[in-house]
Amino acid sequence: MRIFFILVLIIVLVPSCKKDPILGDAIIGLSIPKGFPYPEVPEDNLPTQYRIELGKKLFNDPILSRDSSIACASCHFEGLKFADSLAYSRGIDNQFTARNSMSLLNVAYQPSMFWDGGVPTLEQQVLAPISNPLEMDFDVNLVVERLKNHPDYPALFEQAYGKEPSVYTLTRAVANFERTLFTGFSRFDDYLYNKNESALNESEMRGMDIFFKERGECFHCHGGYNFTDYSFQNNGIFDVYVDSGRAMITGKSADIGKFKVPSLRNIAFTGPYMHNGSMKTLEEVVEHYSAGGKNHPNKSGLIKPLNLSAQEKIDLVNFLKALSD
Amino acid sequence: MKQVKLFSILAAVSIGFASCKKDEKETNQKLNFHIHSLAGVSEINAIDTFVTSTGIKITFNDLRFYISNIVLIKEDGTEYPISNKVLLAGIEKEEHALGEVPVGRYKGFKFMLGLDSATNHSDPSTYEAGNPLAMQTPTMHWDWNSGYLFLKADGRVDTSSGGNLSPNCDFFYHIGQDVLVRQISFLETSFEVLSDGEKYIHLNFDFFKVLQNVDLRSEIFTHSMGSNMPLAIEMADNYQMAFSVEDH
Repeated sequence: MRIFFILVLIIVLVPSCKKDPILGDAIIGLSIPKGFPYPEVPEDNLPTQYRIELGKKLFNDPILSRDSSIACASCHFEGLKFADSLAYSRGIDNQFTARNSMSLLNVAYQPSMFWDGGVPTLEQQVLAPISNPLEMDFDVNLVVERLKNHPDYPALFEQAYGKEPSVYTLTRAVANFERTLFTGFSRFDDYLYNKNESALNESEMRGMDIFFKERGECFHCHGGYNFTDYSFQNNGIFDVYVDSGRAMITGKSADIGKFKVPSLRNIAFTGPYMHNGSMKTLEEVVEHYSAGGKNHPNKSGLIKPLNLSAQEKIDLVNFLKALSD
Repeated sequence: MKQVKLFSILAAVSIGFASCKKDEKETNQKLNFHIHSLAGVSEINAIDTFVTSTGIKITFNDLRFYISNIVLIKEDGTEYPISNKVLLAGIEKEEHALGEVPVGRYKGFKFMLGLDSATNHSDPSTYEAGNPLAMQTPTMHWDWNSGYLFLKADGRVDTSSGGNLSPNCDFFYHIGQDVLVRQISFLETSFEVLSDGEKYIHLNFDFFKVLQNVDLRSEIFTHSMGSNMPLAIEMADNYQMAFSVEDH
């Protein structure tokens, strides 16, 4: 009788010892690449599975645009490292966007959004493409009306934020998803963080030396875990800038032609390059820096002719390609 | 003796009653702005055609502007700020409740047309629907250069040299950015808030005065940026003289 009683206890207790699967509304930690700092995450928008999934659904949903044809993913393709292969992307009514679409990988680390840094947070950025007449050409309040009347969204918003669709929850969900997009697992990272000496070949290692040492000194702006210092620089592409870049935000003539230093991670996949997509290949970019660019008064003092040899140019391009994952 | 006693009792009782009587005067009362948007002497609406003093015809689709940091100035010179009140005024909305203020005499008031820097850079998605700082339809926010439009005026103007067409050309004056906020002061406009009823201050905003010295045939737009910034500054500098207080 006693044995029977013990057996029953075991049968009842053992299943409850099994670990619960992660609940969709539990706060989770972001899986960041090795050697990276943990990004800042706003207190009112901590990551949960429900929030991330809702954000991803919205990111891919053209419901945000006037005629339901354009989604975030229409300019930020997952298969293209959340960038585009065109110089300018296609927005609504077959219009072109004003600037090259930037990759959203590692966007969690950005202190400001856009080539000119005009928006301070990922949450606030969501408003911009929605109202841009070249992109989605719509009104965020009308998007919210659509979401409220949608068969699925109200329940998903309730699950993720305990609230109905609103400007607040819409912007939070998309930003929450975007904060999960990381890149940091390239062969360069394997070489650096895993100390794997064979991760890079000899040409790539020579290119790495050009990048990080006196021959090229690219690291001054394109250094750090994300290959950018997030500053705004004029790199001498033009004598005259039709798009004045950072000056459009600050109104200062000293900022004319300055644009955000982009991350070089996955640069092999995110061409064409520069704010206007004017350089098609990495070879063109390296050629530009080797020659030293045009002498615009706002050009960074760090940019001077490098006069790289043919082999050095090849090595540097090979190194840049090794930043892919 | 008996009469004195009776008198004292009666006196005591009547004094007692007098001091028991409740003070019914309120110490606070509701204050409202009634803001009229005018084209010269006419109230602006989205239907009629208005004619400037130089004979140019215009129509309006939209005229809205933010008013914030309202401060009342008491008779003794001390300031009474109306906290947490931002108004979105314009041709669609004239009445604006400012909440309760102390009853008494005031010698003036001041406010900003536009927003202070901290408010201007706050996240519009954090405001509940119905709050003037929430995302509006049509929008009053620059989403790509985070900040609000302090004043938005959209419409059509007849740009022909003969002035004989219907308004044929779109105009839009979008004035914003921290540097374009303007303090509007009425420091010698005394008023009294009485305890017995709500107080209304009638403000007139003559938009044609904002357009003084603006050539409506050629200077038809500004985004407060780059080459059209000077026009935005010129218009913002006209705000003070465009406002007047009506005696009611």
